[in-house]
Amino acid sequence: MSPCVTKVNSNLAAVTFFAKTHAGDVCGSNGLPLTPNSIAILGRAQYLKTIEHPNLCEYLDIIRGKHERTIIVSEYAGAPLDEKIKICNDVKTILRIFYQVAEGLNEINDHGFACHNLEPSNILLDSQNNVKLFNYGLFYMTKQGEYVSFPIGNIRYLPPERLLGSQNNIKSDVWSLGMIIAELFLECQFWSSLKISNIIRKILSLSNVSKVFEKIAREHNCFEKYDNLNSDVRELIERCLSTSISSRPMPNDIINNKLFQENIETYAYKAPPKPEQLLLRCPLKQVYYLWQLAGGDVQTELKKEGLIRSEAPILSMPKIVCLNGKIGGSKRSQSHLADNRIVILRLNNLVERLRKVPSMAYFPLIHSPKFAVHYGAGMEQLPLVIRERDTEYQFYRVMLFSRMLKGYPFTRDMIIKEAQIDIPPLLRGAVWACLLDVIEDGSYERIDKVTPTSTDRQIEVDIPRCHQYDELLSSPEGHRKLKRLLKAWVASHPQYVYWQGLDSLTAPFLYLNFNNEERAFLSLYKFIPKYLHWFFLKDNSAVIKEYLCKFSQLTAYHEPVLAKHLNSISFIPELFAIPWFLTMFSHVFPLHKIIHLWDKLMLGDNSYPLFIGISVLKQLKSTLMSSGFNECILLFSDLPDIVMETCVVESQKMYSVTPKSICYRKNVLHEVDPGEFDISDISLSELQGEVSPRISANDLIDLIFNGKDAVVILDLRGSLEFSRMRVAGSINIPFTTVLLGDTRLESLGVPNLESILADKIVVIVSVVHENAVLFSKFLIDCGVSRVCVLHQGFNILHAVVPSVLVST
Amino acid sequence: MATTPRGGGTAQRPNGASQNKICQFKLVLLGESAVGKSSLVLRFVKGQFHEYQESTIGAAFLTQTLCIDDTAVKFEIWDTAGQERYHSLAPMYYRGAQAAIVVYDIQNQDSFQRAKTWVKELQRQASPNIVIALAGNKADLSNSRVVEYEEAKQYAEENGLLFMETSAKTAMNVNDIFLAIAKKLPKNDGAGNQGSGQGRRLAEVEQNRQTNNCCK
Ligand SMILES: Nc1nc2c(ncn2[C@@H]2O[C@H](COP(=O)(O)OP(=O)(O)OP(=O)(O)O)[C@@H](O)[C@H]2O)c(=O)[nH]1
Ligand SMILES: [Mg+2]
Repeated sequence: MSPCVTKVNSNLAAVTFFAKTHAGDVCGSNGLPLTPNSIAILGRAQYLKTIEHPNLCEYLDIIRGKHERTIIVSEYAGAPLDEKIKICNDVKTILRIFYQVAEGLNEINDHGFACHNLEPSNILLDSQNNVKLFNYGLFYMTKQGEYVSFPIGNIRYLPPERLLGSQNNIKSDVWSLGMIIAELFLECQFWSSLKISNIIRKILSLSNVSKVFEKIAREHNCFEKYDNLNSDVRELIERCLSTSISSRPMPNDIINNKLFQENIETYAYKAPPKPEQLLLRCPLKQVYYLWQLAGGDVQTELKKEGLIRSEAPILSMPKIVCLNGKIGGSKRSQSHLADNRIVILRLNNLVERLRKVPSMAYFPLIHSPKFAVHYGAGMEQLPLVIRERDTEYQFYRVMLFSRMLKGYPFTRDMIIKEAQIDIPPLLRGAVWACLLDVIEDGSYERIDKVTPTSTDRQIEVDIPRCHQYDELLSSPEGHRKLKRLLKAWVASHPQYVYWQGLDSLTAPFLYLNFNNEERAFLSLYKFIPKYLHWFFLKDNSAVIKEYLCKFSQLTAYHEPVLAKHLNSISFIPELFAIPWFLTMFSHVFPLHKIIHLWDKLMLGDNSYPLFIGISVLKQLKSTLMSSGFNECILLFSDLPDIVMETCVVESQKMYSVTPKSICYRKNVLHEVDPGEFDISDISLSELQGEVSPRISANDLIDLIFNGKDAVVILDLRGSLEFSRMRVAGSINIPFTTVLLGDTRLESLGVPNLESILADKIVVIVSVVHENAVLFSKFLIDCGVSRVCVLHQGFNILHAVVPSVLVST
Repeated sequence: MATTPRGGGTAQRPNGASQNKICQFKLVLLGESAVGKSSLVLRFVKGQFHEYQESTIGAAFLTQTLCIDDTAVKFEIWDTAGQERYHSLAPMYYRGAQAAIVVYDIQNQDSFQRAKTWVKELQRQASPNIVIALAGNKADLSNSRVVEYEEAKQYAEENGLLFMETSAKTAMNVNDIFLAIAKKLPKNDGAGNQGSGQGRRLAEVEQNRQTNNCCK
């Protein structure tokens, strides 16, 4: 029986137990330590969180504590049957319980597992006497009890075959249900004074009894009550308690029994009145999430109730340690025994924190600009980490985003706009999927994820090395899922192959969508063409070379001094940046950093990652500037702490001020065909010969007309041609007058050139492209930023209408 | 600086010894994926072993210095990615290298075959004087061994390779294999500077950096 420790109006509760510890430091066959059982449980139990059914308590969280402690947070609605037994004495109520437990079991069966933990204390009854089964996933999450050292299920209610070791049959639960209902009808607890061993003997002795219910009734002097029961009811219970498993009904048979179906309104689930507290009307997952933000900590609650006790470590010292690693003599600590108490998680703090929230905020009217109130406005200015931990702010964000997500894809633009502010962590997986245009359509199910392929070995050796500090990803369930995702991706892209690194790239999607593999898959599926088009070709060298070359050009564009230094020590991106870009930084940063990085990445186009790369360089600039090749490359072999927020802000800044054509690459998914004034088709060898990026005529014209003095044009043509025809305001520096060897701006003889060029986009215009390229290198060597070369040179400007040229 | 490996920048000196000779050598690790190349380097450079060592993409660079008699031998180590697809990058790392460790996993026959292919490629394309060592890694798991010690030993002898079975996990033979390489490398002036130097931009780059110049 599970006494409730505290009673307040909350329907969140926690239970805790210990997973079995692996003896000593045994290793698996691969020589590596075995996965702790608590991690295995954590991985398996995730699935339970997806189950939503009126007769089942919702699973909310699985937490690992110290020493293999496992804590389960779940819904706890109402009071357990064993406490309400007094008021469950009328036939209607008992049948109602009968029916609804069967509904719960049926759902469990549909999910492909069995409960094996059914007893009155796990049957909760709410105000309407609706049943909710509690703790029904224990057997499943512990892999048939394999991961724990205690037996699962109350002996009293176990059928003979369970005592003999048979498991995983929902019909064993039907027996338990039969016993519970029999007790209710006969108004007594069977074998209440017997010792466990005798109970076992009793149950086993039933094995060859044909009418178990009758036998038990006689044994407990209740034959009269038995005899007075409606014969249909009696017969149904008798069938549930049939010792032959095959003659027991399935839960579904119970549900469809005419006994219930003829009077279904009486027995079926009746929704209780909506709680007055608006907060309690929110999905429990949200309530639990906010509860945590409001300072709720499950472990602390368990400690308060004495379920987690700390003991002086010395008490757990073994008395003997054998050379083979076996330990002995330490008393089994009392605090490690199974304790089936239930701790209610009180909501007082959360309610208090959200007291000032107006009711309107629970129902954001996203389509009615008239009523639009921007809750939480003004908080955008706070650092992201603070926003993500603020209860009230997250409340507003979660309400808003949940509403918008319901309207997806029609609300996509709105979601993008809000995501630019920030993305609530609770809904990140779903929001990313929207940003990536994912539409779940069941296609994932149809992809072959099992047929062995030649990449399997590589995938198998990579998965146990992929973000294994994370509990979910290191669990066996996490490994299986990652493998399926990778195989599915390979199977659905015959033109591509598995490159090491694809595992890291997939990990964030799995991490955020652990219970929604399809969404994880489709997110990856959409992400790759958007940011890594053709990167996974079998021969991707041209694609990668182009990418790295563009990276060098953009580094020179934004950080000329650093670029010059790195160039001088031959510190080329080929040596350090391949893992950055091939995995979009997912191989080089831990998950919590990747997530914030990708929040912004998803809002940018295929060029955004290049700016992330530059901002990483920028953050390490002072070290890089004072280091030689070895120090630099060592720095990147073990990337030091990069402040993600700075990195994100920097990259966004650069991204927003860089004209699009400057980032032009051939190997991207081009959605529109380039026009006459756009850049198209620059060959790799051309690209590799140029230190500065090119700018398209379109972008230059746009800068001239709308750039508010953002641009300076340096015209390399001879002074005669210049005086005849030029862009208004451009500066003439005839190439023939430039001394390339003398890398000082003053040597160009233009007064105040340095201050003229400062903070401007410097566009070099020439009729001889090679000259422009040489001159751009000269400017970079002089430390000038934002240097670019006009694609197709001066002559393209003749064709522009309305003309940007002036003549004298 | 991120992590300065033990003796990273400057050579370690035995107590009170005055100015030693310092030799720098470029060493590359090659071998099938997941045989333990990164783990060997990590063990050698930092004395650590990570069960969940991340896979290598592209390559990683680390340095470590050993002392032999009065000479400090500084290894500049390129730890490469093992997946066959990254093969095209490999020449970038082994060109100009004076030493290579080709690693296989004693539990995996394919990885041994792959090691042989690497040896052939090195003999054909790397510097002619390159010192090659063959490492049969994961020797702690000899229970599930499939590549026999004798077989590998004989192959190594036939091809003039140093050979040891190693374990990054238990540290067995890890320092020893690097030490054996260090001993075999020429430490007189100008030695070991015969990188192929053919055409490739990166190879040239390597030489400009003069890492090949021993005993500066
Ligand atoms: N038991 C045992 N395991 C090892 C040993 N060396 C490495 N491992 C494990 O083998 C796996 C692969 O090791 P890595 O060092 O990542 O292999 P790698 O050769 O660098 O692989 P790539 O980077 O993919 O080329 C890791 O899980 C290591 O923990 C060893 O000596 N003994
Ligand atoms: Mg590696």
